[in-house]
Amino acid sequence: MSKRRLVFSKTGMAKYISHLDLLRCFTRSIMRAELPAVYSQGFNPHMKMTFSLPLSVGVTSSCECVDIEFERGVSDGEIMKRLNSALPPDIRIISVRDPNISANDIFGAEYRLTLLCGGAGENAPKAAGEFFALPEVKIIKRTKKKGEREVNLMDFVLGAEAPKVTDEGIELYITLSAGGQKNLKPEIAAEALIKYLTENADIRVTGYNIHRTKILCDINDPKIFK
Amino acid sequence: MRDYRTDYEDCLRRVQKPARYIGNEFGSVHKDKTDDMMSFAFCFPDVYEVGMSHLGMKILYHMLNEREDTVCERVFAPWDDMEKLMRERDIPLLSMESCAPVREFDIVGFTLQYEMSYSNVVNMLDLAGIPLRTRERGAGDPFVCCGGPCAYHAEPLAELVDFFILGEGEEVNGEIMDEYKKWCGSGKSRDDFLMSLVALGGIYVPKFYDVEFSDDNTIKRFEPNRPGVPKQVRKRIILDFDKCYAPEKLIVPFMETVHDRIMLELFRGCIRGCRFCQAGYIYRPVRERSVDRLCGIADGCIKNTGYEEMSLSSLSTSDYRELQELIDRLLGMTVDKRINLSLPSLRVDNFSMELMEKVQKVKKSGLTFAPEAGTQRLRDVINKNVIESDLIRTSRIAFGGGYNRIKLYFMLGLPTETYDDVKGIADLAKKVIDEGFFSIPPEERKGRSVSITVSTSFFVPKPFTPFQWEPQNLISEMEDKARFLKENIRSKKIVYNWHNSDISLLEAVFAKGDRRLSEVLITAHELGCKFDGWTDFFDYEKWLEAFRINNIDPAFYANRRIPYDEILPWDYADIGVPKSYLIKEHKRAYEEKTTPDCREKCGGCGAASFGGGVCFE
Repeated sequence: MSKRRLVFSKTGMAKYISHLDLLRCFTRSIMRAELPAVYSQGFNPHMKMTFSLPLSVGVTSSCECVDIEFERGVSDGEIMKRLNSALPPDIRIISVRDPNISANDIFGAEYRLTLLCGGAGENAPKAAGEFFALPEVKIIKRTKKKGEREVNLMDFVLGAEAPKVTDEGIELYITLSAGGQKNLKPEIAAEALIKYLTENADIRVTGYNIHRTKILCDINDPKIFK
Repeated sequence: MRDYRTDYEDCLRRVQKPARYIGNEFGSVHKDKTDDMMSFAFCFPDVYEVGMSHLGMKILYHMLNEREDTVCERVFAPWDDMEKLMRERDIPLLSMESCAPVREFDIVGFTLQYEMSYSNVVNMLDLAGIPLRTRERGAGDPFVCCGGPCAYHAEPLAELVDFFILGEGEEVNGEIMDEYKKWCGSGKSRDDFLMSLVALGGIYVPKFYDVEFSDDNTIKRFEPNRPGVPKQVRKRIILDFDKCYAPEKLIVPFMETVHDRIMLELFRGCIRGCRFCQAGYIYRPVRERSVDRLCGIADGCIKNTGYEEMSLSSLSTSDYRELQELIDRLLGMTVDKRINLSLPSLRVDNFSMELMEKVQKVKKSGLTFAPEAGTQRLRDVINKNVIESDLIRTSRIAFGGGYNRIKLYFMLGLPTETYDDVKGIADLAKKVIDEGFFSIPPEERKGRSVSITVSTSFFVPKPFTPFQWEPQNLISEMEDKARFLKENIRSKKIVYNWHNSDISLLEAVFAKGDRRLSEVLITAHELGCKFDGWTDFFDYEKWLEAFRINNIDPAFYANRRIPYDEILPWDYADIGVPKSYLIKEHKRAYEEKTTPDCREKCGGCGAASFGGGVCFE
């Protein structure tokens, strides 16, 4: 019996698949791939499968992780090959490895934000710089446990790079708190930034895309979680 | 042509359940459409999770896509939130696979599974930007067709639909595409294409028939209006069900659908002949698949879908002749893979302990039985050959075997029903508990208590049944009966649910309506009627308004006893069972005489004329 960590991407329309649907999708893909997954005991056995860090609906990613237990030694290459032929096209396994880092050590995640505003983004780098220098930006955070509450966005921003102006708009990388201790959904940060750009730099954003690029772990000695 | 993808995708951020619209599921078919290929938009007039539960769509979608010259894509009704955004942004109805506007397809086909989806057909045509009425369509517009069980009696859609496919689509759909290929670019008229379809058989083109009405609103004349069009259109069926196409590569949705499992179709038709049941007549004769063929299909489906459940599908599973053998073999294929086998549509009369134990091996699920009526007298009237003692015996087996919940389905408002029959439902449910559960010695009972759910729906007289001439109860009568039943159910162990009576009335109107209702449907659509099968959308007042505006009395269709000699709006369809047989059965109902099932004794219904199936076993 061995627990394997599968790093996968979720792109295209698959970004609209919810966490629960993704779990079902993996279960059925493993069945199709005829891989020997381990089932839990009890009245309603299910495959032992744990996603490291949930991803918001609407966000794409190239660094998702799921830990799955397999019965006997199937090689990592075999898992990857068989699963990729059984998964829907917008979900791809990138690597299979030993899960030597615990998901409890996750503290942040990096996202690429693409704000669509045509070619009208030349003022954006300066405005975004000003935004991320603000000491406090109030946002409403909703959680199941604590309900709605007002918090400071900047307490969750671990880093922000200067935006790059492209043909379709602005592209920037931000790092936000993520994981069990402290977590912020990237769309909340994106919307606060868009609001600031609209109000203070007269930039009209028609839409945005968010892509998770890295999951970070070990706050004292940051590295990529995989 | 505008590419709607970006705009469409932006809408998805703002709607509930975006997974309804994303497509790209495992098993979906994406083809690059070239100019010489034909396109078919397969529309299900309900939301994704309902449409994707429908076996017929899966069969015909994959079958059409196996043709190299045809692209078949799926279309569902967008939910209200999505529709609003699409209309705001001027996005027409799009297909799932390629996000192409439905109006650009060559043929737009709807499957009609229930009458309450008709307003969605109208709404989807409107959202697609396809002219609603056939007479408004011309060069460049698609042909709109309908199939499915309601297509046999869909005169209310006559003004909106170019042609109806009567019977099973497995053969005829391919022939339709062949005719389209010949017609396309031939310079011939739209009517010429429709005439070529008429020649195939099984195709009803409403505009090729003139309907005249008398002053009392009954039909005076219903005749073909051009040579070569038959007075009656005979349904098309597949005689050799073993050779019939069955897809083994199904689409596996991302989101949970209503029937989210492998559906293994054991046979078509039903030997029983319950007199209220339309399916029991229109799918005659019964045609079975062999155990070998079924196991082959099951094996393919298991490998290609990864589903954790397989359901045996038919109108009456326990009537499959080799059920024991089939279940044994299927269990051999499923148990190790932790696939749950479920057996809906079991009858209480031949339900066995052994069978129940077998399917329990994987997972125990609830049991549902449908005695349909509360007294033996009324069960004889409707020819539902369920005997009280069978039900009690079966309940005892089930409770003894560890089940603690049984659902019982009944109908209220059946022909000849009295309040004694209604009270009989309460009595029967009580007996199931008293004699089915409490007769088991306490030390042998599994679980401390049990519960029974009694559900009633209101009887809707359906075309092609012996009850097609029957009036439906008035809404007030239906509600009185439901209230009376509720008062008579006193046990806390029995939960009672009943269906909406207004919807049942509309169902009767559209089941038995004529083509004057086309304008009512369009008016109702303009008033905002859609998703009528969903209680959160159904608005009875709007429907009444639509009837008033068109000067039509719904009671004429629903609550009137029709004489045998009156021309019926669905007389054009020949299902293989002639009216004379239905009259005979109707009379037997009033004599409280049952009719044996097809295997016990042939009733001479006429279906033998197809030359196959149960009639020649």
